[in-house]
Amino acid sequence: MTRSSRFQSHETVYAWLMSAPALIGLFLFVALPLFGGVYWSFTNKRLISPLPTKYIGLQNYQNLLGLQIIRLQPEIDEATGEAQKDLEGRPVYPRTRTIVRGNPVYEGYREWFTTDVLGGRFVVIARDPTFLRSLINTFTFVLVIVPGQGGLALIMALLVNQRLRGRYVFRTIYFSPVVTSMAVLAIVWTFLYNPDQGLINRFLNAITFGRLQPDWLVSADSALLAIIILSAWQAAGFQMVIFLAGLQGIPQALYEAAQIDGGNTWQQFRHVTIPQLRNTTIFVIISTTILAFRLFTQVDVMTKGGPQDSTVTVIYHAVDTGFRQQKIGYGSAVTVLFFVLVVTIALIQRALLKSDVEVD
Amino acid sequence: MNRIVKYLALVAILLLLFTSAAIIPAQDMVELELWYHGGTQEENDETRAQVDRFNAMQDAIHVNFVELAGSLVAGTGYNDAVNAAAVAGDLPCILDLDGPNLYNYAWAGFLAPLDDYMSDELRADILPSLIDQGLYNGKIYAMGQYDSGLALVGRVSLLEEAGVRIPTSIDDAWDLDEFNGVLASLQALDNVEYAIDLKMNYGAGEWYTYAFSPVVQGFGGDLIDKETLSAEGVLNGPEAVAAMEWIRSLFENGYATLTPPDDNEFINGNAAMGFLGHWMATGYYEAFGDDMIVLPVVNFGARQATGMGSWAWSITTQCDNPDAAWAFMEFMLTPEEILSITNVNAAVPGRLSALAMSELFGEGGRMNIFVQQLESGIAIPRPITPGYPAVTSAFFTAMDNIIKGGDIQAELDAAVDKIEQDIADNDGYPIQN
Repeated sequence: MTRSSRFQSHETVYAWLMSAPALIGLFLFVALPLFGGVYWSFTNKRLISPLPTKYIGLQNYQNLLGLQIIRLQPEIDEATGEAQKDLEGRPVYPRTRTIVRGNPVYEGYREWFTTDVLGGRFVVIARDPTFLRSLINTFTFVLVIVPGQGGLALIMALLVNQRLRGRYVFRTIYFSPVVTSMAVLAIVWTFLYNPDQGLINRFLNAITFGRLQPDWLVSADSALLAIIILSAWQAAGFQMVIFLAGLQGIPQALYEAAQIDGGNTWQQFRHVTIPQLRNTTIFVIISTTILAFRLFTQVDVMTKGGPQDSTVTVIYHAVDTGFRQQKIGYGSAVTVLFFVLVVTIALIQRALLKSDVEVD
Repeated sequence: MNRIVKYLALVAILLLLFTSAAIIPAQDMVELELWYHGGTQEENDETRAQVDRFNAMQDAIHVNFVELAGSLVAGTGYNDAVNAAAVAGDLPCILDLDGPNLYNYAWAGFLAPLDDYMSDELRADILPSLIDQGLYNGKIYAMGQYDSGLALVGRVSLLEEAGVRIPTSIDDAWDLDEFNGVLASLQALDNVEYAIDLKMNYGAGEWYTYAFSPVVQGFGGDLIDKETLSAEGVLNGPEAVAAMEWIRSLFENGYATLTPPDDNEFINGNAAMGFLGHWMATGYYEAFGDDMIVLPVVNFGARQATGMGSWAWSITTQCDNPDAAWAFMEFMLTPEEILSITNVNAAVPGRLSALAMSELFGEGGRMNIFVQQLESGIAIPRPITPGYPAVTSAFFTAMDNIIKGGDIQAELDAAVDKIEQDIADNDGYPIQN
């Protein structure tokens, strides 16, 4: 055995020793609960119940994903043999619930939504419409917040990177929401969003002369948007700091060279700043995506998933079913599905955005 | 100099550590942990003072008062903490719980029955509605110092200005038509922004179930069938639909707002009337004095109904010293201690002997309406079922969706489906022995 290989094996031991605290923590608080969650997702484990826990196979997953479409037939008028019409001449349909309840095939299903297309009425029924809605809401949130918040953060970073007097003050101000408790911010923003007396609508009232007065959290149409705005405002300061670090890492010589070549400010931004920020941007995109998927606190404090499930998110649904409705097995299945989903997306992002390209 | 300061700080911390170890009580003293949900500030202070009084009057038992954050009415955060502790085996000895959650906890087996501790004398003196609330499967599992009251409040001056009849007892309560007229007349007054404050600032939670399930019952519907525990045809029947239509009409007509910024819409004069639990009555009285009047709940036609049930003390099965815990509960249930808390939170005293001594609640007292409502049987306990958490969550979610524009029948149907699903998931909640 040569000197150097002994030295290397020592290094390995030290490496394991040094990473032990983190690894033990990861095992105890991430890996172990994950294994527990996978195990429970195949059972009907309840939070507090005297009933024994049973193995139920894939039942939880079937309940989560069960989805069917039925075409409703109009009620037939027995006298004429034709479809019944209401006063405005539209066909009269039976209640979805009567059909779902009347057919054992649809047991456990509920109406999710009804739509009139292709000259007929279709009802989408699901075993857990709230979960499916939570998937849609979560993806909408991520799709809007990643570019929106990232763009805002970049603009803020460019602004506070100027050699202006007081730029440190602005940096601190923009960063301050990040270090404030989300629960507190959510309560404050609930007041700001108050449709009649809130600051935001008072302001909108003043500048649009009362034309723009959204109901914000009270309406199913605008509640998710309201949560997106708050979330972007709260978290953008964090990405701003990362972009700021990226900006300051760009060699001044590149800008000087661009100026000598006659590049104007926009061209410098487009051809120097953007390419140089590539790795920073990739980090911001991936970390924002993962953080955005975890949306919970704002929803829990401000809307409880409502109105009409318009703000329910996957994590909120997991907590609600697992904890408040006490179905730990079911809640575990939600989180396992979610874990698979987020890992898949992270891997795809990773493959698409290779970060090893350096532009010099 | 700087170094000296640092050393002094170190020594001070060491001293603190040692002295705090010394404060830990003598060894033969029984230590009990108590969890409290956190109500209004005045209520918290008084409850803490009661615990201090108990600790001071004897040396055998020391009760550690732990207040957990929770919201004023619903206590959602508190209930989450209790559920988690129940699973982890970390429940305190003495647990404060909201009445309707008792059946779930008792069914799950983590509450100890109190029947053997309660003397016949004590039991006979307890307000009957409190016994009703505490009973599950023939045993008493929790006992509160007080029961709650749900009623209307108004201001005599405004009601007179609007020219409406002012009811003085539950027997001459407004009926639905008259009440609709009262709302319209109050709304028409110049200095009134809206007729009634429905406390919607509490948000989708226990308040909706507590305050509005009596409206559903008043219209002839209910949340679940008392015998079968099923909600089918009850919560989604035509009576419940009519009740929801009426509730929603209050917002559509502008008589009430969905988004009051805080608890003070009645105090600051924006709302002419308030629909409220007893816990707001003291503050309102302080604001208006004798101009404020407590009015009986409206008679909606099918029956007169109002809410009841409140936070109560219980002993958990994880308690090593249930006898000591009962000694504390017995102290809390003395008429003096009952009055000391109800004088602060304006809840209805939980013992008949305390009630007789109370100026507020006795005959002619300004809170007497609350007592009339409880004693006459128009107050209805929330559904007595271990599935209560699912029932209340289905109901308040449906109601929240409805008042924010959802389809009434579809939302109530969905609520029924959730309740039925929960019953099926629990094998019909078989009674455990």
